[in-house]
Amino acid sequence: MSDDDFDLILEREFDAPRAAVYRAFLDPDQLAAWFGPETVHVPLESVDIEASVGGHQRFDMVLNDDPRRRFATDAVFTELVENEVIASEETFDMGDGPVAMRARIEFRDAGPGRTRLTIRQGPHGGMLSGARAGWGSSFTKLDALLAGRDA
Amino acid sequence: MTEDTLTRTFRALADPTRRGILSRLRAGDATVGELVSAFDLSQPAISKHLKVLEAAHLIRRTRHAQWRSSAIDPEPLRDAWAWLTPYRALWDARLGRLDAHLADAQKDEPCPTTTST
Repeated sequence: MSDDDFDLILEREFDAPRAAVYRAFLDPDQLAAWFGPETVHVPLESVDIEASVGGHQRFDMVLNDDPRRRFATDAVFTELVENEVIASEETFDMGDGPVAMRARIEFRDAGPGRTRLTIRQGPHGGMLSGARAGWGSSFTKLDALLAGRDA
Repeated sequence: MTEDTLTRTFRALADPTRRGILSRLRAGDATVGELVSAFDLSQPAISKHLKVLEAAHLIRRTRHAQWRSSAIDPEPLRDAWAWLTPYRALWDARLGRLDAHLADAQKDEPCPTTTST
């Protein structure tokens, strides 16, 4: 997979120092506290993080409305630079077969005690049925294209 | 829209040259000749890419006098964007929670280097 896989790019600033934001991704207690979006939660006992290159980050997302539905996420860290970069290759299963994606999270200073976070993730297009296996390495940087930057 | 159409859109966008052509067409319509010189590719190569983009309805090709020019068609791009929207929204919600979590953590832990174990 290559950088062309990243079809989703988000940036956001946090009123917290880089070390605090970085730790929120790698500390199981903290991850369980915030990672689930509104409709799902992450049970603390499902979180298993070995914060080293080649180590893993595993956790389940459980639907609030139907706790029998659990979605397992299993990521392997491909790059870890303390307070700077977390990159991983993850596999998860939303119910119709495993999907592979990459993610790269970058932490930068954004003024005193503030952090700018950039998240790149993809390819989400791999989740389109029938396309899962064969899309190869190149994929659209749709965000960049639509934002008018060089794709 | 059918999933097949969406799949075709993403496949067409999977090639960096075709994304480059679309970016160029955002600035205005272009003839094959203009694209050939802009991308330093052979005319057959550009024509092949244009055919893929046209089949995915990402561009429309029109003939003005003897010149055939290509124009971007935003509709499938909008659909592809819309398809990604829930994933963006998921991260937006998630990062909103991270924001709140970090604000709480700062309040509870005046010294951010200490962790409770």
